[in-house]
Amino acid sequence: MRQQVSRLTVLFVILIGALVAARIFLVPETFGELGHFRAAAIGDIADLQVKYAGRAACAECHTDVEETRLAGRHASVSCEACHGPAADHAEDPMARQPEKPVGRALCTLCHGYDPSRPTGFPQIDPAIHNPLQPCTACHQPHAPEPPVTPEGCSGCHGQIARTKAVSHHALLPCTTCHTVEEEHKLNPSASRPTKPAARSFCGRCHAPDATPPPDIIQQVPRVDLATHGGHYVCWQCHYPHFPELR
Amino acid sequence: MESHIQTLMEVLQQTKGYIYPNEVELHWGLLVVVYPYVTGLVAGAFILASLERVFNVREVQPTYRLSLLTALAFLLVAPLPLLAHLGHPERSFEIFLTPNLNSAMAMFGFVYAWYLAVVLLLEIWFDYRKDAVIWSRHETGFRRLVHRVFTLGANDLSEHAVRFDRSAGKFITVIGIPSAFLLHGYVGFIFGSVKANPWWSSVLIPVVFLFSAMVSGIALILILYMLTSLFRRMEIDMRCADKLGSFLFYALIIDFSLEMLDFIHRLYEAEESIGILSQMISSRLFISLVVLQILLGTVVPLVLLGIFSPAFHTRAFVHAPAELRRLIYFCAAILIEVGIFSTRWNVVIGGQIFSKSLRGLTVYKVELLGLEGLLTSVFLLILPFVILYVLVKFLPPWPEAEAAAPSEPNS
Repeated sequence: MRQQVSRLTVLFVILIGALVAARIFLVPETFGELGHFRAAAIGDIADLQVKYAGRAACAECHTDVEETRLAGRHASVSCEACHGPAADHAEDPMARQPEKPVGRALCTLCHGYDPSRPTGFPQIDPAIHNPLQPCTACHQPHAPEPPVTPEGCSGCHGQIARTKAVSHHALLPCTTCHTVEEEHKLNPSASRPTKPAARSFCGRCHAPDATPPPDIIQQVPRVDLATHGGHYVCWQCHYPHFPELR
Repeated sequence: MESHIQTLMEVLQQTKGYIYPNEVELHWGLLVVVYPYVTGLVAGAFILASLERVFNVREVQPTYRLSLLTALAFLLVAPLPLLAHLGHPERSFEIFLTPNLNSAMAMFGFVYAWYLAVVLLLEIWFDYRKDAVIWSRHETGFRRLVHRVFTLGANDLSEHAVRFDRSAGKFITVIGIPSAFLLHGYVGFIFGSVKANPWWSSVLIPVVFLFSAMVSGIALILILYMLTSLFRRMEIDMRCADKLGSFLFYALIIDFSLEMLDFIHRLYEAEESIGILSQMISSRLFISLVVLQILLGTVVPLVLLGIFSPAFHTRAFVHAPAELRRLIYFCAAILIEVGIFSTRWNVVIGGQIFSKSLRGLTVYKVELLGLEGLLTSVFLLILPFVILYVLVKFLPPWPEAEAAAPSEPNS
């Protein structure tokens, strides 16, 4: 045998021997018993501390919440999905109180607007849907109400509707100021609603001698149209969906 | 929990359209881009070396040993990006102890070990053995010790023994060519076999990887040959440089044709993923794919090499003086390296930034620090050159360093 071959043979025998020895000494005993893993790992994993208690554990004490939740639209949402892992709380209720989500971030993970979410899934745009308000200020998370499908004008002009709803004009229907043809609902850009074009229109309620509806008469601000505002139409200075003056 | 949600919300704001929650953050980052890039350089450098040894392309002889050492230096670094990415490098040897034949990734360990131990180290050993024996006789101290250990005590310098070295080296190179194909074809296979990912799932991917590997390897050797000649103040052998330029052109044109074939095939098939892939190419990958990979990394070098290298005839279309040709080859090789790195980037990152819902795109931002950051990647790209420097110090690949055969037939 050539010298090179014999030396290389010795080297490779040593390397292969080292591999075989490593297999004998380093491969765990239970490796391969149940598959390509160490069977004893199952026991090790089973010994790990449990972090989630599961909804059944929550329901044992919080029966009222559980009943409410199961009857509502969050029936399939587990308690710990929002409140975080709470095995320690289930073990010893006084040890730690589970988190109560505050703010808007958690809810919008599911309910933030996303075009690919299923049609009808309740979604909001967090930037314009009551910004700065925590969701729980209006919604009960254990029994969330299904969203009301907007009808009429607010179906498309939701932002105006919401603004107007908290303004002094809240009680006025849109049609008080706008004349809307039926065609507008089918083809919005082909038939546009009218806007008040004369100062006298606002004067029907706000002129000194006007006779507005009797239930709101005492709160209506009055203005002398002859001297106030020159020739401008009222809505050029005042935003009628959220009028600022009383 | 609240902080996690806040972080998630911030990332979500940078995404476009709809993506699944587990797609927000990319799992394979910059290190996984570096891995196929480095592996490709290994395969490419080795295939270049085989040109001289197996196919008797005498012109590239000055780069033969340099190619082998470069392949070794990069091969030693090739698994490091994976080890850094996966974490727990101390466990990596376990894939050898408990081989999982069902895992293509686990089998990489064996492909790697085969290529390192059976192909590259053996070929270098047979090629350098005679020189190492002679060097060790005239040296002292540490260098002598290194060269004596290198020879494994096989110090037979008889004509028969030296001839056996040559034959064995040639035989190993013949085995080495399919092994190099296996090494990098395998890396392409890892991506090409992910059938759930329309950007990766293509039988052409392993072949495209292979040819892009050859391109990057040849370009790297061209750069190294020019730089080392410059530092050693040696004249560049222009026959060698021209030949490397020509081979670079051939490999690049095959690589480009295959990539275009893959591209046209996807367009013609127009599967449901084509919409989001087009969107990805025209937005997120525009710079790295259209500008860097195709335009600067392929078209410009192709034009430069096509005009100035003797790829079509014994003379080039435009006969430029040697100094200008060297500059053009160097620039083309640098552009190619950037282009091939972009290719790896586009494959690895591109395959993860579109949603499997085919309805949205996420973003990938390279982090600077951290184990998977930019600095680690730069370190791993510099490390092979440091290793190569050490290898070259102990096993000089230059023709003038080759020891003459001794007068005595046997020691």
